Order: sequence, then structure tokens, then C-alpha cells
Amino acid sequence: MKKKTIAMLLAAVMSVSAVLTGCGQSSGGAGTSGETAEHNAPEAQGDSSDTVPDTGERTKITALLKGTESTEQFQVFDHLLSNFCQENGLEYEIELVNDMQDYFTKLQMYINSNTLPDIYGCPNGTLSRACLDIDAMVDVGAELKRNGYYDKMNGAIIDFLTDADDGNLYLFPQGLYCEYFMYRTDLFEQAGVTDAPTTWAEFEEACQKIAATGEIPVIVGGSDAWQLMRYLSFSPWRVTGDDFITNYQAGTDSFSDNDSAKYAVELLNRLGTEGYFEPGFASVDFTSACNLFFGGTGAIFYTGSGQIGLAEEMYDEGKLGFFPVPDTEGMDNMSTNVPIHAGFAEGFNKATYDATMQAFFDYMCENFSEACYTKAQIFSPFNEDLPEGLPQLYYDTQPMFATAETAWTSWDDKLDSDVLTKIVDEQQKLAQGIVTPNDFISTCDSLISK
Amino acid sequence: MQKAFGKKSIILLFIFPAFLIYTLFVIVSIVWAGYYSFFDWSGVGEKIFIGLQNYIELLSRDDVFRSTIWHTVIYTIINVLIQVFGGLLFAILLSRVTKGRVALQTLYYVPVVISSVAICQIFSKLLSVTPTGVVNQLLSVFNPALKVMEWTSNPNISLYVTAFVEGYKYLGLYMVIFYAALIGVPDELGEAARIDGASLFQEYWHVRIPYIKPVIVANCLLVLNGSLRSFEFSYLLTHGGPGNASELMTTYMYKQAFTSMKYGYGSAVAIMIVIICLIVGVLFKKITGEEAEK
Repeated sequence: MKKKTIAMLLAAVMSVSAVLTGCGQSSGGAGTSGETAEHNAPEAQGDSSDTVPDTGERTKITALLKGTESTEQFQVFDHLLSNFCQENGLEYEIELVNDMQDYFTKLQMYINSNTLPDIYGCPNGTLSRACLDIDAMVDVGAELKRNGYYDKMNGAIIDFLTDADDGNLYLFPQGLYCEYFMYRTDLFEQAGVTDAPTTWAEFEEACQKIAATGEIPVIVGGSDAWQLMRYLSFSPWRVTGDDFITNYQAGTDSFSDNDSAKYAVELLNRLGTEGYFEPGFASVDFTSACNLFFGGTGAIFYTGSGQIGLAEEMYDEGKLGFFPVPDTEGMDNMSTNVPIHAGFAEGFNKATYDATMQAFFDYMCENFSEACYTKAQIFSPFNEDLPEGLPQLYYDTQPMFATAETAWTSWDDKLDSDVLTKIVDEQQKLAQGIVTPNDFISTCDSLISK
Repeated sequence: MQKAFGKKSIILLFIFPAFLIYTLFVIVSIVWAGYYSFFDWSGVGEKIFIGLQNYIELLSRDDVFRSTIWHTVIYTIINVLIQVFGGLLFAILLSRVTKGRVALQTLYYVPVVISSVAICQIFSKLLSVTPTGVVNQLLSVFNPALKVMEWTSNPNISLYVTAFVEGYKYLGLYMVIFYAALIGVPDELGEAARIDGASLFQEYWHVRIPYIKPVIVANCLLVLNGSLRSFEFSYLLTHGGPGNASELMTTYMYKQAFTSMKYGYGSAVAIMIVIICLIVGVLFKKITGEEAEK
């Protein structure tokens, strides 16, 4: 009997310790998965109790951000929160999740349990709508109007983040990101291409000449969906703005009915099958593509203000030039030819938006530009003068978007996740010539009619 | 002590914690996934009950899922060939080596202890086309056209490349298991075969390998189990691409649930994976059981 009791006790202890080990790992976060980290203000001591809305007894500001400690969003918000909390005797905690899918899963968990932190990164689309459904988003537009920063914000950024349903602004931009093509001036000269292309026909002609010299015309990170999707969406964007993709998702337009969409499909197919992309492009990710181009391989690369740090040296030496998205010949293109977007925007939790958070919001607006330029080296979403001492590429590219009013239309935000996933699979086949443009068009059109 | 552990009640008590954890994390998860599979749910918002709609679409209209089943079968066959039969071959060769055997054994085992992520990164660089990776650089010595040979981005061979990488990682593990089994074969049996005039090949084919047949069957089952559930190599090397050329059932399940945000449909795919694995396991057991009876 005694032995049985001891055996039962041992078994119980083993069960409890095994279960507790599992619980300990899931709540520990930092250091276990390697993908999340929690950071506290320098004075983060003692009580780590949760915030108390509307009572003035808040002790901590919490944030959920995508990325790592070296990504721009963290650098900006860590700087702002650290200074603000230091001044106000508060703590702050930033939870970081690097992988996109893991981040979405985490955000969904918080949405489903209605336990969103005070600040959270959120793309403008399905997830922001889900946050709105649980009334978890502050009207950032109203707050910007209240503190006078609305008119200072770049028009294209406001356009990018405006909610499609009610026209309000619920998200604060991560920064201002503009995209453009960079090209090697020496390879262009070698191939006899005297001017940067202004139309897609000129672009392909330049690719043909560069290929004839034995150089790779275009570097693309084909394994990252967005890189190939840009080539698919340039023409519809320049000709229709966001009309095509919005109507496509709604089922009122299709690839087969839209000339600019058909043009883009054929363009991507030609660029891939004519050998203008680097060999094996479908297995090259964007980081490797950056390393290839800025390491001296390839003549043209679609990049942007996020890679100014990599381009700086070559640009200052006169080895690089840039040009905006070419026109689609034979069609009426809009004047904006530089894709501008707000990066991975942030939402503010309405449930916890008290006087302290409002004060932080105002502090953030006042100091956001400084944080963008000094900490993260990205453009500020506010139309302010550039500080001195930045790389020359900042000053030379800024005029391209200074007065822009129309934002880039990201298919990631507009398309249903399932449709997006299928188009991503099909675009790779299209670029590699596995399917013809007609096959691609008919497959994509069938996705919506299903 | 021996008396205590001889009692069934004591044994059951010690098995209980593992059984509890298995039930919680495996059985409950499967049942939960089964529950979700009857809903249309994006992961946020309301779950809409749709009954068997997910399964009907999966089995009757989803061409990609059908192709993933076929891909998984091919993937499994390649892994069985490399890991089991390759492992057996290496074990036989290792048992014939007298000098440096321990060093060789360790070298072959090293990939087993390296993480799958690291192995995939290594092979991504080895098989790179632009910039030219080591493999293409070596092949270009024999044929310059092979310098731009595509491996993971070639839809015709990406599946085989992925299977090879997983086979490469685990070959050492099964080599070690087979080696231990081979050195356990009584020497008298081999000697008797040699006295009867058997060649080296005949000795192994008719004496040693049949002797370790239970180990071969067990390893086949392990590889089968692992390959049917394989995820990381396909996902990390090719993301199931180009297109869906190297898509496995598990990567397809992941994409449906977490990328397409169709948790209900992804759960239905997960349940189908469980059913297919059970069927394959039962069939395998039956075949090997019948052979054993013969």
C-alpha cells in the first residue's frame, strides 16, 4: 500500500512538472522561440501590473511590433517610448515577432481574445477590419486633426491608410517608403542605353541591349511574392489607380476585361521567359537580390528608400541612377509614378487610449520625424524639411513624392488572403513560362467567380 | 524493486504522465482540428458552420490537394530509398572498414544533429544559380551549360531535390541503426555461408540482411511516418514552389490555414493527413505482418 502511494505521488509529480514546463515555455517568450523579445524602459523595476484606462493610474505602455531590434519600426518606437516613459515615470514593453505569418497569428490571437496591447502593428485590410469590428482602433485621423498634424502628413500616405469603407484614418504610418528602379550607369553606358526608360517598351528595349552585352538586365527576388507581384501590378496601378484590383476582388472586373492588367501579365511573362531576370530568380529572396545588385550583379533592380543605406556609396560615386515606374504605352497613365506606402502601420487600442496614451500620441507626432531620420534612416510621413547630414539619395529622391497625393495600391491589402496566395503561386509559373499569359488570366479570373 | 515494477498497476502509473501529455497535445489537437474543419473561419471574427463543405471541396474540386498527395507519395518513396536502403548500404560499407571507422561514422552522423533550417540554408547556397553555387560551379567543369542549371527553382526537379536534402540529413541516423544491427549478426552464420561457397554479396543478401529484416521494417515505418508529415524542407527550400511543384500535404495545410487564412479548410486538410497516415500505417503493418507469417 505504501509503495502504491509513493508510486502514485511520483506519477502525479511527473505529470504536474511536465505540464508546468509546457506552460512556462509558452508564457516565457524571450529566449525560447528566438522570435519574440520583451524590452523594458531603463527604469523598469518593481510592479509590472497592466495599464488601467481612464483613471490616470497607468504604469506601463505596451506594444506589439513586427520585426527585430534592428528593424525600423522597433528603432523608432523604442526611441520614442524610451524618452516619453523616462519623462513621465512609466515603463514600456515591446513585444517583437519577426516572421510575418507568426506575427499575424499572434495578432489574431490578441484580436480574438480582445487583449490587444496599447500599440500594435497592423496592415490595412482584413486584420484592421477585424480590429475595427471589436472597436479596438483609435480614429488616428481625428487625433491628427486635433493636434494639428493632419495637414503636415504626406497626402499619399493619408490616401494609403484611409479606410476604404468609411474614409477614416485608423492607422499611423511606420514611415514613408517610396519605391523606384535603380540602375547601373556603367552597364547602361556599355549597352548604349543613353536615357533611363520612361515606358515599358523602352524598358524592354534596354533589357535587350543589356542582355546582348552579356550582363543580367534585371535582378528580382522571385521567391518573395511581392517582388514579382510589383511587375504584375505596375500597369494596372498607373492606368487605373486602385480601381482594377478593388473591382477584381469585388468580381466586377477581371484580368481578361482589363487592358492594363492583360498588359502586365504579358510583361511579366516576357521579362521572365526572355531571360531578362537573373537565372534561378524564382529561388532568390529579396535580401539575396539586394546583395546581388549592390554587390555588382545586374543592371536594373526594383528597390526603394528602404535600401538607401545599401545604395548610398555606389550612388555617391556616380555608379547608380534611378527612375520611376515607366508608363504603359498606348494608355492613359496617372501622373504619380512613384509607389508610396506607409510600411507596416500601427494602430492604437481604443479600449486603453487614455490621457497618457493621448499625450504619447502628441509626443510621437512632434518627435516622429526626428526618430525616423536619426534612428531608422527612413523618410518621415510628415512633409517637413529633411535634416542635414543624410545621404544624398534622400535629397535627390524626395522631390519625386513631395507633392504626391495618390498612394501605391498594394495587392496584399486589397486581395482576399486565399486569392492572394493562389495568384502568388500562379505568378511564379507565369514568370517562368510554365503557364501562358492566357492560362494565367483564365486561372486568376476563375478565382473570383468561384 | 523488481517485484514493484512487475506489477501492472505500478507500470500503468508510470506510463500515465506520458499518456496524459500525448492525449492532451496529440489527440485533443486532432479532435479540435476536426471541429474547426466543419467551419468557415478566417482566424478572426465569427466561425460559420458549413458541415462537410470543406471535405467535399477538398476531395472533389481541389486539384492542388490531389497533386500534393501524389507529391507526398513520391517524396516518401525517395526518402525510404535514400534513408533506409542508402543507410543500409552505408552501414554495410562501414562494417567492412577497419581503419577510421569511428571518424567516418561521426562524419556521416553530423547532418543528423544539424538543424533542418541550417541544412536548408547550406543547400540553398550550394545549389544557388545566381550567384553560382558550388554544385553548378563543379558541374560547369564538365559542361558549361550546367552553370545555370536550376535546382530548387526548376518545377520538374524541385520535389526530388527537396526529398534528397531530407534524405541526406537523416541517412546517418539509419546508417547507425543498421550498423548496430549488422554487428549483432552472429559470425557463425556468415562463416557457415562462406564454407558453403557463398560469395560476399550472397552472404549479405541471403544471411545478414534477412537476419536484420525486423530492423529494416521498423526503419521503413519510421521513415514513412516522418516523410508523410514532412514540412520544413519543402517549406524552407522552395515554399512548395515553383507554383505548387514541390507542394506537400503539410505545406499545403499550412498555406491554407495561415497564409490564406482559411482555418476551417486548413483543418480539413490536416484531418485528411491524419486519415491518410493511418491508412498507410495500417496497410504497411498488414503487408509486413503477412510477410512475417509467410
